[in-house]
Amino acid sequence: MERKPAWLKVGYNPGAVGEIAQLMDELNLNTVCREANCPNIGECYQKHTATFMILGSRCTRNCRFCNVRCDAPDAVDPDEPANVAAAAKRLKLRHAVVTSVTRDDLPDGGAAHFAAVIRAIRETCPGTTVEVLVPDFGGDERSLLAVLDAEPDVFNHNVETVEALYSLVRPQARYQRSLEVLAFAKRARPQGLTKTGFMVGLGETDAQIAQLMDDVLKTGCDILTIGQYLRPSAEHAELARYATPGDFERYRDLALQKGFRYVASAPLARSSYRAHEAVQTIRKEGK
Amino acid sequence: MKREILMPKLRPEMEKGLLCAWNAQPGDRVQSGDVLFEVETDKVVSQIEADFSGILSQVLAEEGDEVAVGAPVAVLEVEQ
Repeated sequence: MERKPAWLKVGYNPGAVGEIAQLMDELNLNTVCREANCPNIGECYQKHTATFMILGSRCTRNCRFCNVRCDAPDAVDPDEPANVAAAAKRLKLRHAVVTSVTRDDLPDGGAAHFAAVIRAIRETCPGTTVEVLVPDFGGDERSLLAVLDAEPDVFNHNVETVEALYSLVRPQARYQRSLEVLAFAKRARPQGLTKTGFMVGLGETDAQIAQLMDDVLKTGCDILTIGQYLRPSAEHAELARYATPGDFERYRDLALQKGFRYVASAPLARSSYRAHEAVQTIRKEGK
Repeated sequence: MKREILMPKLRPEMEKGLLCAWNAQPGDRVQSGDVLFEVETDKVVSQIEADFSGILSQVLAEEGDEVAVGAPVAVLEVEQ
């Protein structure tokens, strides 16, 4: 195995991870932390935060960067909204992040289920802010509206990589469609925050990164996350490079200079890593 | 009381872990939360923390060993 750079070291407390994993198992819930083999699981679980992954653990798309299994999808669990809300309450979450596998097999892509989860959290945990990280729903506006009508505080949809790498990294997705999803969310609900993220280390150039930032900003997007691509296994897309912490500072400065309201850029930054900080910061500054 | 320290399952499909470094030696007193050893996976190096305070009485795996998930890598003499 190739040696990892010194900055890719993470803490892991087996007891803390086991405690959250047990809670999720009891409530028949999945987390993207576990299914996507997130490197931050030790830190986040120890802080009693987790990102719920709804609509099953198997995805109908086979993105080349992602560790979530592509296979025949699970049946949708009608108890899942209530169980997510129960877990959010037991974890005393101030900010709940909900994502899903992509469900191209469902007529609405799972949008109504997303909305049900948002409403269940609102009802059970009135003070908790809710962030959703959604698939592109095939660009279907009715599905997007179903989610937006449930009024998430943050609507996140990741572009994941620069346009030139889509055929390699996200063969079943389209760059322009993802941009349109972000633009539609902002138009439909301007008072909500929109957010996206991308990885570096897949072979993109700095010029392509700058173009991505410009394209995303044009959608009215508020929050940007930038993190290192970490290859889950030899079967996944090849790693082109490890960007240094200095590179990530440079990307953050560029994104802020271009006009994003909040940027999380670090080797181990992920979509939902310390997501609450972005909401707090923007609201505090009253921007 | 002796407690075995086990190789954790750091990812769902993990069967073995590469123990790449020890951060404590036999005879060392460790506190709950101290980093005991490091495991390298495809993505990162995970610093595995002790769940209990005690004396590290025995080390059962060397740096560079691949250890099965759930197998003991050390024994901790836990303080009562």
